[in-house]
Amino acid sequence: MSDLPSINARTQKEIQRLLAQSPLIAGACELDLLVFFYRHPRSLLTNEQLAVLVGYDTKEIAQAIESFIEGGLLERTQNAMHAARLYVLLLEPPQNGGLKLLLALASTHQGRAEIFQALVPGRPSAGSDPGQAQRKLRFIA
Amino acid sequence: MPERDLVKTGIAGLDEILNGGIPRGNVILVEGAIGAGKTTMGVEFVYRGASQFNEPGIIVLFEVSPHKLFRDALQFGWNLEQMERQNRLKIVFTTRDVLRQELQQADSVLLGEASKIGARRIFVDGVSRLIGSNGTSEARSGFHVLSEGLQRENLTAVLALEASASNGNHSGVSMPEESIADTVIRLKMEDAQRAVSRSIEIVKSRGQSFQMGRHTFQIVDGQGLQVYRRVQAPRKEDRERAAAFDPKTRIPTGIPGLDELVNGGYFLGSTTVVAGISGVGKSVMAVQYIAEGARRGERSLMFSLDEQVPQILRNAASLEIDLETPVKNGIVRLEYEPPQEIEVDVHFHHIEELVRRFQPKRVVFDSLSTYGSALGTKGRVFRDFFHALIALMKEHQAAAVYNHENPDMLGMGSMMGEFAMSSLVDNIILMNWIELGDAFRLGITVAKMRANPVDRVTHECEIAGGVGMRVLPRTLPAPKHPFSAYAGLVSRAPVRRSRREERLEDGERDQ
Repeated sequence: MSDLPSINARTQKEIQRLLAQSPLIAGACELDLLVFFYRHPRSLLTNEQLAVLVGYDTKEIAQAIESFIEGGLLERTQNAMHAARLYVLLLEPPQNGGLKLLLALASTHQGRAEIFQALVPGRPSAGSDPGQAQRKLRFIA
Repeated sequence: MPERDLVKTGIAGLDEILNGGIPRGNVILVEGAIGAGKTTMGVEFVYRGASQFNEPGIIVLFEVSPHKLFRDALQFGWNLEQMERQNRLKIVFTTRDVLRQELQQADSVLLGEASKIGARRIFVDGVSRLIGSNGTSEARSGFHVLSEGLQRENLTAVLALEASASNGNHSGVSMPEESIADTVIRLKMEDAQRAVSRSIEIVKSRGQSFQMGRHTFQIVDGQGLQVYRRVQAPRKEDRERAAAFDPKTRIPTGIPGLDELVNGGYFLGSTTVVAGISGVGKSVMAVQYIAEGARRGERSLMFSLDEQVPQILRNAASLEIDLETPVKNGIVRLEYEPPQEIEVDVHFHHIEELVRRFQPKRVVFDSLSTYGSALGTKGRVFRDFFHALIALMKEHQAAAVYNHENPDMLGMGSMMGEFAMSSLVDNIILMNWIELGDAFRLGITVAKMRANPVDRVTHECEIAGGVGMRVLPRTLPAPKHPFSAYAGLVSRAPVRRSRREERLEDGERDQ
């Protein structure tokens, strides 16, 4: 934690406000997966490939995907004959403006660290250890 | 003949060398090394289709994040995100394994997405590892699968293939992908001394004719690709008709005394070379030619590689010639281009566009020698360029004057030195220093004037401040003696024989 940059109190407050508007982001895995979809809004991939690209366990990825689909954040095109699924991020509705801002912030090293800091207290997630998340950053395209 | 269904790429200049576009449904392989411009070309192909031709498209990426593509495309003014929202374009990020499987499936999710927006075009960025190693049978079958899958949907596809081996010297051995693809476009980065220029070549394209050879292209901020046709002077009926001289109209030179030597002026569409060593007054003549055009209300254009525009204006002012006013009025255009890194196709395109728009009656190029040192006089580049310039000027009926620096200080070994193109030129004016006593005097000779009488008499001329150049009146009659009155004709240093010598020779002949 000591190597994390100091957090501006005002930014932290803003991040907490944005996180409160985005309940689907429960931990690092959800955040990193959403950032991936933010950068690749229409992806044709298998869950295994997604797990490798984002750097998390396949099970965690699958759970996060299900929660995004339920929450209307993600659309998945199914085809029983194919292992790959087409995922389309749905960020257009106005209520997702805050989430868009959050993802833009999470696309930078500093922003991501600040969001993790805000996520840690009271947001249980298998991938919520910021140190672990930082290590996984390299997997993200 | 049925009307051909050609897909316009919309890329500036490319459809021209493709003679209108690419047959619909063709699989187009764009090959080139890293940084050659393959991705930009593929993305522009899909973007132009969606934005200009109502042909939605799909972009398939493997390594580049779509987010970065959005950002980079904005540099060219292409708002891909907006087009995605409008369902005119879709960008799909996937892996090569998935794409390979997808294209083998009749119910492909990817092609289903394409169908949803009515896609007519697709760009796949980076097919090399998708189809296996270049040149192997695995590559051949992999590419075949890809090609079949795309054709099934009647998509016109651009596939970018990284081919580092084809950069520089192509081995001459075709890759299997090249034989399966319908169209092969090769992009290269070519070394030109220490500079690098981009070239594009249509290697093949099934079902159509196209303009062969290596053309130049640039990647331009705010626009995208700009292809410049290889400099050439293709035969066109209107050009050839224009080359026949109008026998009445003359374009006066603006040099007092010179018009009498050139039968009143140059013909429209004619090519005149003024040859002489540096400092002999060629640029002065050029400025006077342009100024005379302005005085007569004729649009006049000067291309300089030697002097920048302010310098030309200053030099004209020193001769009390006001070029600034006609420049401001738009009747005269002065253009300067530094010759160091001239790209001949780009430069010619610039001239061509300017001539088409401005329609000048008079044009000056200052100078051919600088073009020669920039483009090299060996090989075909300079020759093709000069041919194309002449054809362009004839087509637009501009009387063009080309200054040429002849290296000989006294006398001339040849009219155009190593350029060896005097046969293309209609009129040649030689300017020489002539050493009389301890001074150099300036001589001018009209050495060639096609379709006109010419006496090839050398006249003295002078350049005076506030006056410019003028040809001095000849006070002595030209010698009218026959060749028999001279000795040493073949040596080109004849000496007139004395009457005694003539009589003696005649007496010997009588005996």
